[in-house]
Amino acid sequence: MSKKETLFDDEFLKKLEYLNIVSNQMIPGHMHGEHRAKKKTDAGIEFADYRQYVSGEDTKNVDWRTFLRLDKLILRMFEEDADLPIYIFFDASKSMDHGEPSKYDYARKIAAALCYIGLLNHDRVNLVGYADGIAQELSARRGKNQVWHAFRFLESVQAAGPTSMQTAFKSFFSSRRRRGLVVVVSDFLDGSGWEKGFDMLRYFRQDLFVVHVYSADEMHPELPDEVLLEDSETGKTQRLKVTPGLLDAYAEQFEEHCEEVNGYCRKNGYGYVRTTTELPFEDLVLQVFRQGRFLG
Amino acid sequence: MTFLALTPAMAALVLATTAAAVALLYWLKPPPKRVVVPSSLLWDRLLREKKRSTWLDRLRWLISLLIALGIGLSVAAAIGRPEVGSGDAELDRITVVIDNSATMATRTSDGFRRWDHAVAEARSLLQRGSAGGQFLIVDTAGQAPPTNPGDRRDALELLDGLTVSLGGQTQFPLLPESDAPLYFISDGVMVDGIPAEAIPISVFEPADNVGITAFEIRAVPSAPFTYQAFLEVTNSSPGPKEVAVRLSGSGASPRGETMSLQPGESQGRTVELSGFDRGPVRAAVTTDRDAFAGDDFAYSFLPVRARTRILLVSSGSVYLENALVIESGVELIFRTPEQYDGRLAADVYIFDRWAPPSPPPGPALVFLPPDVSWMPPTLEVVDSPQVGGWNRDHPVLQFVSLEDLRVNRAARFAVSGGPGGDGDGGRRPALGAADGEVLVGDQRLPLIATFEIPERIIRVGFALEDSNFRLQPSFPIFLSNALSWMTDEQVARSSPPGRIEVPLAGAAVADLEGNVLTTWPLSDRTVFLAEEPGLYTATRGTRRLRVAVNLADPERSAVNATGFGPEVRAAATPGILGAVEPGGWGEELWMLLLGMAAVLVVGEWFTYNRRLTV
Repeated sequence: MSKKETLFDDEFLKKLEYLNIVSNQMIPGHMHGEHRAKKKTDAGIEFADYRQYVSGEDTKNVDWRTFLRLDKLILRMFEEDADLPIYIFFDASKSMDHGEPSKYDYARKIAAALCYIGLLNHDRVNLVGYADGIAQELSARRGKNQVWHAFRFLESVQAAGPTSMQTAFKSFFSSRRRRGLVVVVSDFLDGSGWEKGFDMLRYFRQDLFVVHVYSADEMHPELPDEVLLEDSETGKTQRLKVTPGLLDAYAEQFEEHCEEVNGYCRKNGYGYVRTTTELPFEDLVLQVFRQGRFLG
Repeated sequence: MTFLALTPAMAALVLATTAAAVALLYWLKPPPKRVVVPSSLLWDRLLREKKRSTWLDRLRWLISLLIALGIGLSVAAAIGRPEVGSGDAELDRITVVIDNSATMATRTSDGFRRWDHAVAEARSLLQRGSAGGQFLIVDTAGQAPPTNPGDRRDALELLDGLTVSLGGQTQFPLLPESDAPLYFISDGVMVDGIPAEAIPISVFEPADNVGITAFEIRAVPSAPFTYQAFLEVTNSSPGPKEVAVRLSGSGASPRGETMSLQPGESQGRTVELSGFDRGPVRAAVTTDRDAFAGDDFAYSFLPVRARTRILLVSSGSVYLENALVIESGVELIFRTPEQYDGRLAADVYIFDRWAPPSPPPGPALVFLPPDVSWMPPTLEVVDSPQVGGWNRDHPVLQFVSLEDLRVNRAARFAVSGGPGGDGDGGRRPALGAADGEVLVGDQRLPLIATFEIPERIIRVGFALEDSNFRLQPSFPIFLSNALSWMTDEQVARSSPPGRIEVPLAGAAVADLEGNVLTTWPLSDRTVFLAEEPGLYTATRGTRRLRVAVNLADPERSAVNATGFGPEVRAAATPGILGAVEPGGWGEELWMLLLGMAAVLVVGEWFTYNRRLTV
């Protein structure tokens, strides 16, 4: 209970309000449906196209004038706003429960902030906690009054288990999902390979925005000369002689890992933001806005 | 290689234990600390790249172990103090007696001193033994008394601390019972009583020397305020010498002359010093190829007085008045006891058979005084007392002979303490005794005594009219000495170099240049060390005492009077430079080993940080 209180307290909500105002200032013209795809339907106002009438269809949109001239049943099609859903995936594996402040809390705050902004803009927001599958899911919501549901959901999910983005994405998108924007907040320490997870998203033609979270001591760990390293997800241990040179090599390895994720996103036109947990989450959210993908 | 601090077996045990301990510590490591990381994914990837070849890791581990073994074994071996090569076993346990008497300061033809050769020879003996051997270094002047033998380093340090002793007594030391070979390195001049088992090594080489064998300034008996210098020069060279003698002091130009001296010849000169002012006088002799400089100079002090104002209080003493009137530089004021006024200033007061009720403001010579509060009372009157003896060393009685002194009647008074106060065989002092020094007579019946209360007082226990003292030739000398002593104008005491005692408690001692010497105060005197000839002044308050430290000894100047025959082995002179100069790295390896350990530690640190070792 105490964790809930500390995660989304009044201070947090004030910051969300601030983010909302700032986001409106940053993208003054943004409005409902602006960033959404057009869908040709028989309803709507704006004419889009014609198509052949199929037997059994409603005849209210049949263009009778054309029928009189050409003796063919042609249906008039109209464009309708089709809002793209936002899928916010936050990593709920055990590796996220590390650092001070915890990467997991930080990720949930980012997810909450993005969800809040999305809901305020009448987007359809899905919240998904995942580890080596879908841990918990809050189905699509829309409207400001859904904010508290989202918060309660975020507070209820606990970090546990190993990571497998591929399994989680496959499991989620195998059921019929509309194309939308997938926001993944994770450390991308995925034993089964984060690339496979991203490939899966590409397969389902989802747009992707990556928020890469890590803690500072994760990049520059302070370890004794000789140490027994234990993997928090798998429990696997290994003995290690730590030298300054080895720590430097590890830091290079970590940087390389981050660059790999970033490179993948850049190559495929996805958004990518990297942050340590020491950066205030609202600053990070603003960075996400500046990327111009989440809003606008 | 030998181990000096340990036996070979012990050294091997220490090395083996160290190696085993290092190896064991490499295998038995404490369990590492368990640290939970979010994911070992990146570590796995890193270690997969780093541990591609296990043989390289094993090599790194082996290098690390070898470096650690190198460090441990170097330190362990250094503790054992290994030495390259083995010393001469016969010289591993020896006693070396080195002669540091005055003649050892004689220079040899190569420019070094006999002493330098002796030290070089001693060093050579020590170096030929092993560093862990037992060496006893003893000298003939008492600077290094025989104690327990030490190792080579201790012996060399002791040897470096020894110097030539110009003064003092030199003798072959009494050594503890030992079967160790005994070496005696000397020029064979000043040391006798060499034991038969000693192996003498001679550093003697004939040398030229002309030196001052006597130098003294004294008053002329017929004119006590006129001073002369007596100088004796001796040629100790194998051949004849032309010697330039020079006497210098303040107030007049130096006086010099040249004299020709045959081998072994001594010539004396008396030099009138009337032209010199009061102050130090220095005598010097110069000749060509003089190898011994210690006796080329001599010092003394000329105590020329200024005009002395004397107040004589007497009912009438013709002898005393006449003796004082003929003294040069004396202004005599005569008063009867009735005319005496204590406010009348004088340099010296002389009271004849009378004494004022309160002490005079200056020094006083008192003949047969009545009982007054500031002097010891008369205990009894003794008829025809025997003059038992007198203190010839006291400045008041210098050159004074009392062989024919006859006293008809004397007053006995008590004297206690003082250097001459023990003549009564430890009897308790009489009631009313005062601290003083008996000059003539003894403690039971002092005839002449000195006191300092605080002015100097000379008390004569008889009247001149009751003795034949006034008719003695030494009476004017006594009077002159007494005036000099009371006015503190005395010739310098003579002493050979070395430990010197002055009868002035808590005095500060300075040399001619004003350098203050270290002193050791005793209850009634002060001790100081004067290694070089010179004029030294001991001062306490207004009192001064001068000591002329001169070699002035025919025995010390006779640098060629060696007792060594041709059968005595001569010291090896080649290599003296190297032996005299401090050695370099030496044959011991412990510093090298510690240095190597330090280099290995640095290497280990470097390779560890470069991930070359584990």
